[in-house]
Amino acid sequence: MRRLLSAALLIAPFLAASALTPVHAADMNFDRGLNAGKEPQNWLLYYGNYQGFRFSALDQINGDSVKNLKPVFSVALGGLQSGGRYAFGNLEGTPIVEDGMMYVTDGWGSVYAIDVSSGTRGLVKWKFDPGIDRAWAGDVACCGVNNRGVALWKDKIISIALDGRMFELNKATGEKVWERKIADPALGETITMAPLVIRDLAIVGPAGGEFGIRGFVDATDLNTGQQAWRTYTIPAPGEPGSDTWKDGENRWQHGGAPVWETATYDAESDTIYQGIGNAGADWDPQYRPGDNKWAASVLAMNPTNGKIKWGFQYTPNDPYDFDEISEHPVIDTKINGKDRKIVVHAARNGFFYALDRTSGTFVGGKQYVDKLNWTTGLDPETGLPANYDPKADVQVYSPGTHGMRGNPMATVCPSHFGAKNWEPTAYNPNLNLIYVPSVEGCDGLETVEEKSFTDQGGPLKPRDRFSGGSFKLTGRLYGSLKALDPTNGETKASVKLDFPNYAGALATAGNLVFLGEADGTFAAYDAKTLNKVWTYNVGTGINAPAVSYSVNGKQYVAVLAGSRQSPFVMQNDPQLKYTSTSSMLFVFGLN
Amino acid sequence: MITRRYRVALLLIAVVTAVTAGRASAKDASPAEQARVIAQGKDIFKTKATCQFCHKWDASGDQGYGGNALSLRATKLTPAQVAETVKCGRPGTGMPYHDQFAYTDKRCYGVSRADLGNDMPPEPNSFLNSDEIDAVVKYLFATDVGRGPSTYDDCVVFWGTETRQCESMKQ
Repeated sequence: MRRLLSAALLIAPFLAASALTPVHAADMNFDRGLNAGKEPQNWLLYYGNYQGFRFSALDQINGDSVKNLKPVFSVALGGLQSGGRYAFGNLEGTPIVEDGMMYVTDGWGSVYAIDVSSGTRGLVKWKFDPGIDRAWAGDVACCGVNNRGVALWKDKIISIALDGRMFELNKATGEKVWERKIADPALGETITMAPLVIRDLAIVGPAGGEFGIRGFVDATDLNTGQQAWRTYTIPAPGEPGSDTWKDGENRWQHGGAPVWETATYDAESDTIYQGIGNAGADWDPQYRPGDNKWAASVLAMNPTNGKIKWGFQYTPNDPYDFDEISEHPVIDTKINGKDRKIVVHAARNGFFYALDRTSGTFVGGKQYVDKLNWTTGLDPETGLPANYDPKADVQVYSPGTHGMRGNPMATVCPSHFGAKNWEPTAYNPNLNLIYVPSVEGCDGLETVEEKSFTDQGGPLKPRDRFSGGSFKLTGRLYGSLKALDPTNGETKASVKLDFPNYAGALATAGNLVFLGEADGTFAAYDAKTLNKVWTYNVGTGINAPAVSYSVNGKQYVAVLAGSRQSPFVMQNDPQLKYTSTSSMLFVFGLN
Repeated sequence: MITRRYRVALLLIAVVTAVTAGRASAKDASPAEQARVIAQGKDIFKTKATCQFCHKWDASGDQGYGGNALSLRATKLTPAQVAETVKCGRPGTGMPYHDQFAYTDKRCYGVSRADLGNDMPPEPNSFLNSDEIDAVVKYLFATDVGRGPSTYDDCVVFWGTETRQCESMKQ
């Protein structure tokens, strides 16, 4: 009896604690990540799963019930401070949701742990502010103050900050365990991407393709907070591909090829697929003759040691700033009756690609954007642009679509912002459709002969802009959402949007696709027809993709809202000119 | 030995003095008022209208995602011409207009939005009223226009000392 009493006394505090604690998060481990689909109530990984689907298996919110979808709570966040060249930070993040707790970031890298278990409010339990030197880091962010989210690992949160640091935080308290400096704003490097955690390694890379960096993919051992490996995205002399830098002046050292969006992962072959950004200087291809590998490419890499298995370059000697950093979903499918393992990509250059993910060979591709003028198509064998000239050091592609020294003005379609920029696609495996949110239209490019950096005898100092020109709008940009067959890129349904899309899509098993827009519209579309079936306006621009989760058996959809309205979006959309920036989380549920 | 902070203070005083001496329209304003206007102009240049995004913090001009922005240190424009450019932008370029009613009538270069079509200048980050345009022009002529390359001290005046922003300019 006494022993029983003792036991009861011993467990009483735990019982009391659990009664008061609304969430019971288990540790995050690799197996949970691999089986994320078995926890549809959670959104454990950046893309929802390692394959990059952005698909929720929840179906409570569907074509019949969506009419009852209402905002159920919102949470005001921070991150609106100015810094460097920017008046405020943006929200581009993907929330991570685990057992009623949500982890989101603002543009300056603050992490918010929000208890969403009640379904009626979001209670911020802790906030971690990395304390960025905002002037210093913000001055070398090419295109805004951004942070796209965190990763879970064991009982920790792994986050990054614009100034190039990675943090391990205690998931329960937000206390910092360690930090590691990975990228250096003194060299024009920043980090904006959510880390990809594979086993005990967190994989990220630096932005800075407009500041003369040499890109890399870097893995941190989360047990020690030390570097596990680093692989540069531009080969050094002697490494495979180094012969694609033909200038003879070591311009590969400032050749760009940045990394600023999270890779996808194929567990079967233990391979990550990392999209790689543009070559620098962006719009002066004569500065860097050669194909400039691995700029504007995808690299298949071993996540344990960073070794490159294969690479596929979308736009050799890219003169357009066609970054291809964005997601590469991993899909098993049938093509012509045969089982195929493919990796696909809705490219910034306007084509949809399917590659054999074992060999990196081209399976198929098709233009998915409304207007494309820079090439005449893709070579059906190689997947290279049809007018790519293997003998040329500087590619012309279609004349007049990019500037050259002495003939600097050009018009390119899709615009250099891309047919699709970083904003992610979503894939519904039940329907075998991939949803591509796009920027439609053209813009003007102007080449200015680039100068070299001081270490190569020129006047440019580290942190100076290094773009080889500029761009200007030549007409109104608009947007689209298209449903493609991922095996061949054929468009099955499409909807025109009033604004170019910079938000990204969410697909759900309720056969809906959710998408935010620059005017604050947050809408659901029928997954087969893309008819708009529900809409709500949050009153401030949306530049982030939504996620879905459930608590106590009830499905929710969450999205971050609040971003700088780019003058380039607004130039021909004056109706947005009085919109204000905010910093909000909105959560929707069925009434 | 003059400390850096002292040198920065001296520079600020010199800027105010230069404006007091050099600007006819400033004759009636007290030094304190002039300093306030210049500080307001700096805030507009730095944050509110974010002119520095394209023109760089020292107004020396830049390229890339800010467009091919001209150097205001080297400009030959008069204050009135700079004010007009801020107000109306530059058609056919990336320089935004900042008068919210620009091109709704013919106040800017005698043309409207319909006349300009695709040459319409971009929308600004923030509209500016005439006092604000006056302030940013006064700021530019007090600190940047007609100056040579910027220095470490200029950088500290702009960004302050609580940042690594000026580190690379340190001799």
